[in-house]
Amino acid sequence: MSENVLHIDHLTMRFGGVVAVNDLSMDINRGEIVALIGPNGAGKTTAFNMVTGVYQPTEGKISLEGRDITGMRPDEITKLGVARTFQNIRLFSSMTVFDNVLTAHHLRRTSNFLTATFRLNLAEEKKMRQESEALLKEVGLWELKDEMATSLPYGKQRLLEIARALATQPRLLLLDEPAAGMNPQETEELGAFIKEIKDKFHLTVFLIEHHMNLVMDISDRIYVIDFGKQISEGTPAEVQDDPAVIAAYLGVDEEEESNGEVGA
Amino acid sequence: MKDLTRKKIDSATIITGAIVIAVLLASFIAEQFMPATSMLFTVLKKSATYALVAVSMNLLNGFTGIFSLGQAGFMLLGAYTYGIFTIPVAERMNVYQYYNGGLVQFVVPWYVAMLLAGLVAAFFAFLIGLPVLRLKSDYLAIASLGFAEIIRALFQWDKLGPITNGSNMLRLFPSFNDFNIRNASGEVVVYLDTLVPLLITTLCVGIIVLLINSTFGRALKAIRDDEIAAEAMGIRLASHKRLAFCVSSFFAGVGGAMLAMYQATVQANGFTTIMTYEILLIVVIGGIGSVTGSCLSAFLFVAASEWWLRFLDQKQMLGNFEVPLLRNGFRRVVFSIIIMVVVLFFRRGIMGTKELPDLIRGFKNRRRKEAASK
Amino acid sequence: MWNTIFPYLLTGISVGGQYALIAIGYTMVYGILRLINFAHGDVFMVAGIVMVYMAASGMPLWLCIPLVLITTALVGFLIERVAYKPLRSAPRMSVMISAIGVSYTLQNLVLYITGGLNKDYPAIPWLSESITIMGATTKRVTIVTPFLTIALVVALVMLINHTKIGMAMRAVSRDFETSQLMGIKINSVISSTFVIGTLLAGVGSILYFTNYPTVIPTSGAMPGLKAFVAAVFGGIGSIPGAVVGAFIIGIAENIIKGLDIILLKAGVTHSMLGLATFSDAFTFALLIVILSVKPTGLFGEKITDKV
Repeated sequence: MSENVLHIDHLTMRFGGVVAVNDLSMDINRGEIVALIGPNGAGKTTAFNMVTGVYQPTEGKISLEGRDITGMRPDEITKLGVARTFQNIRLFSSMTVFDNVLTAHHLRRTSNFLTATFRLNLAEEKKMRQESEALLKEVGLWELKDEMATSLPYGKQRLLEIARALATQPRLLLLDEPAAGMNPQETEELGAFIKEIKDKFHLTVFLIEHHMNLVMDISDRIYVIDFGKQISEGTPAEVQDDPAVIAAYLGVDEEEESNGEVGA
Repeated sequence: MKDLTRKKIDSATIITGAIVIAVLLASFIAEQFMPATSMLFTVLKKSATYALVAVSMNLLNGFTGIFSLGQAGFMLLGAYTYGIFTIPVAERMNVYQYYNGGLVQFVVPWYVAMLLAGLVAAFFAFLIGLPVLRLKSDYLAIASLGFAEIIRALFQWDKLGPITNGSNMLRLFPSFNDFNIRNASGEVVVYLDTLVPLLITTLCVGIIVLLINSTFGRALKAIRDDEIAAEAMGIRLASHKRLAFCVSSFFAGVGGAMLAMYQATVQANGFTTIMTYEILLIVVIGGIGSVTGSCLSAFLFVAASEWWLRFLDQKQMLGNFEVPLLRNGFRRVVFSIIIMVVVLFFRRGIMGTKELPDLIRGFKNRRRKEAASK
Repeated sequence: MWNTIFPYLLTGISVGGQYALIAIGYTMVYGILRLINFAHGDVFMVAGIVMVYMAASGMPLWLCIPLVLITTALVGFLIERVAYKPLRSAPRMSVMISAIGVSYTLQNLVLYITGGLNKDYPAIPWLSESITIMGATTKRVTIVTPFLTIALVVALVMLINHTKIGMAMRAVSRDFETSQLMGIKINSVISSTFVIGTLLAGVGSILYFTNYPTVIPTSGAMPGLKAFVAAVFGGIGSIPGAVVGAFIIGIAENIIKGLDIILLKAGVTHSMLGLATFSDAFTFALLIVILSVKPTGLFGEKITDKV
């Protein structure tokens, strides 16, 4: 059994009377790509927000590489090696592509505001710039470095978000619907890209995704939740055949049937 | 391809530096040859002061996205600190006449006092920042405004009189005029009373610009653009906001000391909410997020209100026709209307978020394109 | 002891009522637009100036009072239409800056009109007569204010809970976009909110300036800020909260004004401490404390941001 990276232990999140995540337990091991799937509103992003410290869980515990990170601030968790992207892209809108990535190097600075202001940190600044350049070349956005981040096409913005997250040098990367808004070809490329960066940067990847082809293609294991509760867990093949998953997705109860809705 | 591994000092930056030096030089020369009573110098001195405070406010409101309205309070702290430590010991009996000469019985050089002014303001900012910076935008605005009011009351408190002189004014400390070099008979040989404030502002604004363009400046802009994303990139919100708040207040304090030097007297009652509003409006007119804009707009604001629009306050005759409405106070009405027009219809202000080097680069690019098309 | 405190308490209750009438305008506007209407205090001052000029023109007071209220409401309506409506989709900071601009403009306009002179508020016959109550001499307005305030608040709450426009206001303050989709005429709801808010501030101004009969361009600034603090204290968006907050602040501030004398007479201190200087500052200290401890105020609801 390989080394555990993320351990989620009986996690529950309540907003007033609404239970967004209900008694969720998960384990992610080093080098895995693990997907969290479920119909809209199942509580996937809420789970992400708890892992990254945006929300404090009502109950339960989260450990990163054996260390309890429950209740830590988002910036502390990032410094421990967890980076994320957002479902609704959150790039720094007033900055160029280059500066977006450059800014994400700030957390590893050794300068303080005085040495930085008076330019006594030139070596560090140069290193930040070199690393940003390398990263942008890696993801294929180097040609667009001087464009404003928000002027990029949608798919490129998603890539930039990944590049920015990588700049914090994470060991665990959380991707919140990275393929949203991409066409089938872009989605396929993204899948290959995720595998590639996983190997290159020695990452463990935890992703939320609705594109089933992508999920089935790249995931080692999949967790399925519905109404905040885990309903299935296993390899892509196991999950695909699980009747509980089919029920949740295709809907066997009358209400869903009458709507004829398919959560995809 | 442009080398991004080092941020290059390009020709636009050099031209900007040259323009700044030219302005300083021009005002120095003008000072020697024009009558010292010219409105130009009054305006330059006051706008140097306001430009610094406006840029310091812009650092918060424009670059960090913290809507604070405490500027007058920090200026007050700076102005008083400067005054308290520079009134000549021999004059203290006159100034602190109701407090037996006051407690402080020593002086420090003006530049040390100015530094202290900044430090005291920054220290108070640190204290008040602990509760206030946790608040959301508009609550923060009103709480910082409230803080300025508390400071104003505190400095007028009779029990603090031995230090602050209570509700009486501080005076007789060195003012801008004392920078002029005089000969033995007291005649001015070299005028420096305009150059020095301009230099102080240039230095301070320069430091702020360096901060804005450093890795810390990028972190502040990230917080302004998206707090949640900034935090997810490992930027600690509390410490960076506190940094911006303290640095901004430091320079507001230095600005307060400059205001004291400009006015030659200081009284807590003068540092009202209106003063903060005026500085905010300068920032808005210049462009929220543009240092160049704040400096330009500080000059325009001061020049318009003290000089160019003065005629609106007096009766004017066009031949035999007396222009209606012109009397005391009309200037301020016209002025308010101009401000409202900017706020409503030109929300980006003069400069938007652009700086002078950006304009120069844009101009050069356009010329290059024109040349290419020919 | 009681005899020393009582007059301050009495004034405090009265001033609290006047603050309450201003605070309601803040709290309603904030509830709907999420905007601190920095100009609200200045509208209150304008109401005072309008009264001064109307009375000086020789108009009988029974006519002046309704005219003042109508003019004030009109001013409130116009400010919203001119300075806030065009910025409906702009960032919140822009609207707040516009409000500060309006405040600046109103003060400068009044400075111009009055030529910078202090204006004496006309004495309103019955209200400004002196009376003695439990040994304390005061103007009748002191006694009238709290009762009038409570009556107006009850009327307002009934309006909000039982009329169509009131229901629309509640809907808009709960969810701006959805109510728009539901066909509520947002602009007329916002205008009515401003009209009601400024109308109450107009009533407040008549009561306030009868007590403190000098009007200057900055007369509205301090009461305005205090009323806003009252609204925050009570939980912004909540009308009963604003009223309770206003009374607490009014009373606390007046007790502090008399604290030197009260302490002296109680034998706690032996000299004047000059604490009255802090009567204004106290309000803001209270604000900072309440915001740090319970940011939603006494009766406010919690709002969570969505990621």
